[in-house]
Amino acid sequence: MSALSGEAAAMLVVILVGFLPTEMWRALAMVAGRKVQEGSELFRWVKAVATALLAAVVGRLIFAPAGTLAEMPLSLRLASIAIGVAVFFACRRSILLGALAGEAVLLGGAWWFLG
Amino acid sequence: MPGVVLFAGYVGLGGLLHGVGFPFFAGMLSTLLIWALPAQVILAGGIGAGTALPALALAIGLSSLRLLPMTVAIAPFMRGHRRSFWAELLCSHYVAMTFWVEGLRLLPKVPGEGRVAFALGLGNALLAISLAGTAAGFFLAGELPPALAAGLLFLTPVSFSLMMIRNAGRDLMDWLALGAGLLSVPFVVGLAGGADLMISGIGGGTVAYLIGRFLRRRG
Repeated sequence: MSALSGEAAAMLVVILVGFLPTEMWRALAMVAGRKVQEGSELFRWVKAVATALLAAVVGRLIFAPAGTLAEMPLSLRLASIAIGVAVFFACRRSILLGALAGEAVLLGGAWWFLG
Repeated sequence: MPGVVLFAGYVGLGGLLHGVGFPFFAGMLSTLLIWALPAQVILAGGIGAGTALPALALAIGLSSLRLLPMTVAIAPFMRGHRRSFWAELLCSHYVAMTFWVEGLRLLPKVPGEGRVAFALGLGNALLAISLAGTAAGFFLAGELPPALAAGLLFLTPVSFSLMMIRNAGRDLMDWLALGAGLLSVPFVVGLAGGADLMISGIGGGTVAYLIGRFLRRRG
């Protein structure tokens, strides 16, 4: 983080690393419009890579998190996710209820570990 | 309901931004300009992990590519009778998951001349909710007792895990990509400079695509 300590430097990172790689696809869609086919093999590959990328980042937040979450044992983090997924499926695929259940398990554990 | 989920997602992001030491206004700018929660999570998570910036830009570009077909699909409903390139470009900036779902539901009912105004109104309302969530999460993270702060940081991984499971649906390839990305993390987590993200994402995603294609051809 040391290179990003300045607010201006961080804003530059947001624009160059975050905004431009995202906005270019929206703008391209308006310009190139109809020439893209959603079901093509190229798009299937991109979808797979995008899914795996996001899964990897989320996995990192579970396996190697930041801040106080890192003080919780890995077993508690994994158990909270597992319970959240179980409740999600049990409650007709409700993201809200699944997330609440996972949070409840984690908070219960956190309260236990941190006192 | 979509507003509540959106708000909670951005509260989680705000907590994450605070957790990795990202400055406040740059974090708010990321919601205003990037306006795509997965890309912002990758940015914040990558900064926290010390990922090299070019690798991070590539990862974000690939993750945001899904916005292209989404924008193409909704574009006809964001055009007025008089075509204006700049108005359409501005409207396209608001395309993200929640806007897309709600826009496709609501915009077709709006008469042609009011569609640009309606799209901008809807987009700005969702953006305001998200900016409020980002700020709330950021400031809460510094004030909360440690146990609740841990819960705040957990909001993003738990909700995104469930959202990815929901979005995977019936396509086997999605499940393979999800599993490959998630389960490869413990093996690559020590690698520096974004190699972990490239192996898990591009490597895992490509393997999932190839296996999915192989199974589709056979079945």
